Amino acid sequence: MWSGKSWSTRPLTELSQTDPGSLKNRLDRLFARWLKRRGPVTPPFRLNYRQIFILPTGFGCLLGAIAFAMLISSLNFNNNMGLFTTFLVAGIAVLSMHIAYRNLEGITIRQCTAEPVFAGQDLALLVRLSEDSNRLRSGLRLSSQDDARTDVIRLKPADHDQMMLTLPTVERGWFKPGRLTLATRHPLGLFRAWSVFWPEQQFLVWPKPADQAPALPLSNRLNSGEKPGDEGDEYHGLRSWREGDPIHRIAWKASQRHQDLLAREFTQPVQDELLFSIDQTGVRERERAISIVTSWVLESDQRGLQYGLELGAVRVDTGSGRRHRDRCLNALAELP
Amino acid sequence: MKLLALKANKTSIAITSPSQFTVSLTVLAYLVAAGPHLMAMPRWLALCILVISAWRVVTAWQRWRPPHWLIRTLVTFSALGAVLASYGTLWGRRAATALLCVMVAVKLMEMFRTRDARQIAALGFFLVAAQFLFSQQIALLPYLLIACGLATAAMLSVQADDDRRRHPDVVARQNEPLKSGGSDWSRHLKSGLVLLGLSIPFALVLFAVFPRLASPLWGIPENALDGRTGLSDEMSPGAIASLYADDSPAFRVEFEGQRPEQSDLYWRGPVLWHFNGTTWSRLISAHTETPRRPTGNNPPLQYSVQLEPNERRWLFTLDYPVEWSEEARLTRDYQLVRERPVTRLISYSVSSEPDFIDEPQLDPTLRRAALRLPEGQNPRTLELAADYRQEYADDRELINAVLRWFNEDAFFYSLETLPLGLNGADEFLFDLKTGYCEYYASAFAILMRAAGIPARIVTGYQGGFWQQSSEYLLVRQSDAHAWVEVWLQGRGWTRIDPTAAVSPTRILENARRALNDTPGWMGGRWAQNLRNQFDRVQHYWNQWVLGFNAARQNELFSRLGLDRLSGPLLAVVIVLLALLTVVPLAFLLRGLGQTRRVLTPDQRAWKRMIQKLKPFKLQPRRAETPLEFAERAAVKLNNGQRLINAARVYNQLRYAHSDNISESLRASLQQASRNWRPDPNPELLNSAPVIRVLLQRMTTRKPA
Repeated sequence: MWSGKSWSTRPLTELSQTDPGSLKNRLDRLFARWLKRRGPVTPPFRLNYRQIFILPTGFGCLLGAIAFAMLISSLNFNNNMGLFTTFLVAGIAVLSMHIAYRNLEGITIRQCTAEPVFAGQDLALLVRLSEDSNRLRSGLRLSSQDDARTDVIRLKPADHDQMMLTLPTVERGWFKPGRLTLATRHPLGLFRAWSVFWPEQQFLVWPKPADQAPALPLSNRLNSGEKPGDEGDEYHGLRSWREGDPIHRIAWKASQRHQDLLAREFTQPVQDELLFSIDQTGVRERERAISIVTSWVLESDQRGLQYGLELGAVRVDTGSGRRHRDRCLNALAELP
Repeated sequence: MKLLALKANKTSIAITSPSQFTVSLTVLAYLVAAGPHLMAMPRWLALCILVISAWRVVTAWQRWRPPHWLIRTLVTFSALGAVLASYGTLWGRRAATALLCVMVAVKLMEMFRTRDARQIAALGFFLVAAQFLFSQQIALLPYLLIACGLATAAMLSVQADDDRRRHPDVVARQNEPLKSGGSDWSRHLKSGLVLLGLSIPFALVLFAVFPRLASPLWGIPENALDGRTGLSDEMSPGAIASLYADDSPAFRVEFEGQRPEQSDLYWRGPVLWHFNGTTWSRLISAHTETPRRPTGNNPPLQYSVQLEPNERRWLFTLDYPVEWSEEARLTRDYQLVRERPVTRLISYSVSSEPDFIDEPQLDPTLRRAALRLPEGQNPRTLELAADYRQEYADDRELINAVLRWFNEDAFFYSLETLPLGLNGADEFLFDLKTGYCEYYASAFAILMRAAGIPARIVTGYQGGFWQQSSEYLLVRQSDAHAWVEVWLQGRGWTRIDPTAAVSPTRILENARRALNDTPGWMGGRWAQNLRNQFDRVQHYWNQWVLGFNAARQNELFSRLGLDRLSGPLLAVVIVLLALLTVVPLAFLLRGLGQTRRVLTPDQRAWKRMIQKLKPFKLQPRRAETPLEFAERAAVKLNNGQRLINAARVYNQLRYAHSDNISESLRASLQQASRNWRPDPNPELLNSAPVIRVLLQRMTTRKPA
């Protein structure tokens, strides 16, 4: 529930304090079990009466109190116009309750996706919704378990859209978004209708890069890597001749047997080939060591070096490029 | 660090405060709801509220900062002081509602958060209901609807503002600007009115079936009305004058059976015995319950009175009430007095016996009271009385002589006269000779007492206006009257109206006619007619809406057969009935504020063609294109080619580049849609219900 006061990001330590035995968590689990028996609660699923809850908001209670005061005083003085006004207010409230329910009913929660992030950054969770009842859905508010972060959209009739929830991450590894709530207070803010769901997916959070990492362990180079070189380097093989290749590189003899001209290709042994391991960091604290390796990976990637990982049982062969970097980061994130 | 915190705080205020439109709408809703209260307030206080409201709207548009809390506190306390100063108290309805209005206005000054705007909108409903404690005129019905509609619209607008705010993180990531609120005035107003309109049936059902209290839970404050009272329980000549200008209804009467003559319509109110030289007042000893209740097995006058609230205790009746429905006691001088003042519209039925003799034997104490005059006043009147006494031994003859004198001498009936001094009767009878009923009644009573005839003054209303078709008598405040009762041997207390001797028209018609008075065009005949017509509407309103009480409800329940249900079951029925009226209506709302998906003329034309195939159960499947459907359907039709052609045209109209579309193409689709009639294969015909096909044939026009 977003009170509209501020979007205070809670101290990270507080978030990580989850005591599975606490009463609140036990109740949460009971509630989840009960809800899961009632119907699907993991996307994709369509919201219906089994998943939608509705209760008056604080403002709804206030209006209720005002209406009650109106009712009692009008009844006492047998003031019929006052009574009629009271009943009008009651009618508006009942209608708004119904509209709030129908604002959620029939929405399909399609899927949840998120790009990986480094620990400590906010994970931008995207939740896709679609609407097929040809009704406008105003004021849909998505919030995370602790209600700290919310997003609100307006879903057009027969349309789909996505909502974004920025969830704070604390540590590397698989991140579970936990319980998410889709709620609405449309139209008058008197009632809050809501549905909870648990995304099935888990999202990988990469380790946080160390702030002051030691320099890259360049001494530990491998000699197996190569990169395209010039004459004088090791002869590598043949490839089709391309415009711009020097004429003296054309392998005339080989070309005779082919349709195209072939050019000789040479490679240069690469000096900057790196294979990182935890031990190289020289730090005893494991998480700190992983952080350092992470920052090495990022730095090598930036400098365009060839690098790999040697993490005990897990090994990532050397390589470069964005996909290689992600592979390395994933491996680091998943380390036990 | 501190700077950062400040900045964050500022943005959060900017984001969570309601938009300018919402602020304006909320202020408007408040002003409309508080309108009647403002009009009843002292002018300067109402002006202060208007100024604060205007300031708030300007603040929203100019994006000024909220005032300092010290200023707000100062304004709060000075507002409290202002209400106290102008009402002298915070107790009592007017003071309490004024205080509420003022406090909401002060709240406007801190309406910089969503929550505050909501609270103000919700209080609008309360202000509306509070107004009905003062008046329930039918003229206030539009006020009710408009004010409630505006309050609902304001709540809609506040919520829409709230629902428009995305988290700043999301906004930053998705590169979407924060919307500060749109110009959705008309949309919110419309939705508010729609919501209100749809809840009217619900309200009506609850109104009819919601259990009423047979007796109030707590007492009703005495000063409920704004001094809009009728007669007082005292009379000093010159006091009723303000009533003659008041055309508002005092009560309405419906007679069953016999209607009395206009000149017999003396509606008995307070009876005044005690005269202190300037003022007539009641006698406590005559205020006790009468030992002699009028009896009559078949009283000739049966009528029911619908009495407007007047904050007085007595009920007006014709002489002499035999039975009455309201809980009241009959005093010794035959006033019908209630325990509690009349603070809301009540209706009671009475039967009266005009031939009853009031006190055939006058009690010596009462006789003394009815003869007492203050010492040393009105010497000329006393002298005159002595002269009359000498001339006429018989009381009746003496009275007739005095009345004759009133009639024949130069006495005038007029509201424009002078106040009287210590020797009031002398001044009036010998010098002024101009006045209205109170002057005549007072002088006449003094003259009678001086002549040794017991006399007392009765105030009340005389006459009334007969509504032509609806058969009820409207008695206005301007029909207020005062007359005299004298005690005569053998006849008891006898009514004498000295005013009638002077101006018979006053009695036969009404005061205004008697004065031959045409006060401007508003008082013209047509305006009078209009007012009478309007009063008829008000009469029915009073009877059916305001007069709907526990007794009427029971009547309704027994007619519906609901009276046999037990309490809890009845409650369930009530709730179900109410929900039944509101829930189906809610389905009409396809999302508030949504515009219905409008079909283009081409779409409508194509849809019309498809509709014609409905009886044969030939309808497009899901994800079937128009052409695919047409081809599938054409197989089963003799004239299917035309359907295929139409589908091609439709596709072109709908999906081709707009440059390639000619109007003639569009016209051809329209024509096909109008003229085409499916001609089914025998096979298809057999599979369709004949009756439907026939119906279809009958309802579609033949091609021209």
